[in-house]
Amino acid sequence: MSVKTISYGELIPGYKFPPAIYELRASLVSKYLKAVDSAGDGFVPPLAITACAIAAMTGSFSPPSGTIVIHASQELEFFKLVPIGATIECHTGVAQKITRGKMSVLILEFEVFDKGKEKVQSGRATIAVPT
Amino acid sequence: MLTEIQEGKALNPVVKYITQEKINLYAEASGDFNPIHVDESFAAKTPLGGTIAHGMLNLAYVSEMMTSAFGRSWLSEGKLRARFKEPARPGDTLTINGKIGCVEQKDDVSYANCSFECRNQKGEIIVMGETRVKFSNDKK
Repeated sequence: MSVKTISYGELIPGYKFPPAIYELRASLVSKYLKAVDSAGDGFVPPLAITACAIAAMTGSFSPPSGTIVIHASQELEFFKLVPIGATIECHTGVAQKITRGKMSVLILEFEVFDKGKEKVQSGRATIAVPT
Repeated sequence: MLTEIQEGKALNPVVKYITQEKINLYAEASGDFNPIHVDESFAAKTPLGGTIAHGMLNLAYVSEMMTSAFGRSWLSEGKLRARFKEPARPGDTLTINGKIGCVEQKDDVSYANCSFECRNQKGEIIVMGETRVKFSNDKK
């Protein structure tokens, strides 16, 4: 998926990334299951959906040049199972941005919906960026 | 799956060996090609000194443990809070342990509150946190 990226400095609390749509094809799920070394059970693993939501956020901004982005913490809540082949829509945004000394912390939040607009999962990711 | 959901009960541990190949596969599956995960020469020049596994790859192993214990209850109504303490690196063996801390009942619905830790072969904590799962009373 190709998305327009914005700079880290432009991210402010309340900023919403463009919604991202993913079709959870069998090939994608199979690739994910192989990567996490798991057999699967006929549904899309919830953390595969989380991975899509996180990619939708982190792929939408570029960190400050010469820095690395560190995943510091994660909160997740699952609301329903999603069948393989389903389409999901990820709504993501910036909840907080805190800068202390040479460390910047970004709290990103997301909600994922299925085609029927039912919530599939929600979460918050804390990202640390040493600046 | 667990046949009895009791406070203090340990969940079946999950053990995984981390390789750069697995990290690369996860990058392809997730679309997260941050060079700290996949570019060994870039990562070697950072304070981390080498590539590290995606935090979400480590969490996938926690989810595997929870799925094994609670089945679809976890997949459809689970809740998780995790803190990444140290990076997991290629060559690490991760062991994920968890246990049921307390069982709560609210309006005829029961919840199992669990804690988990993921440690490497040196005993360092890689990820730790809590989970919460709703379950039907006939499993208690």
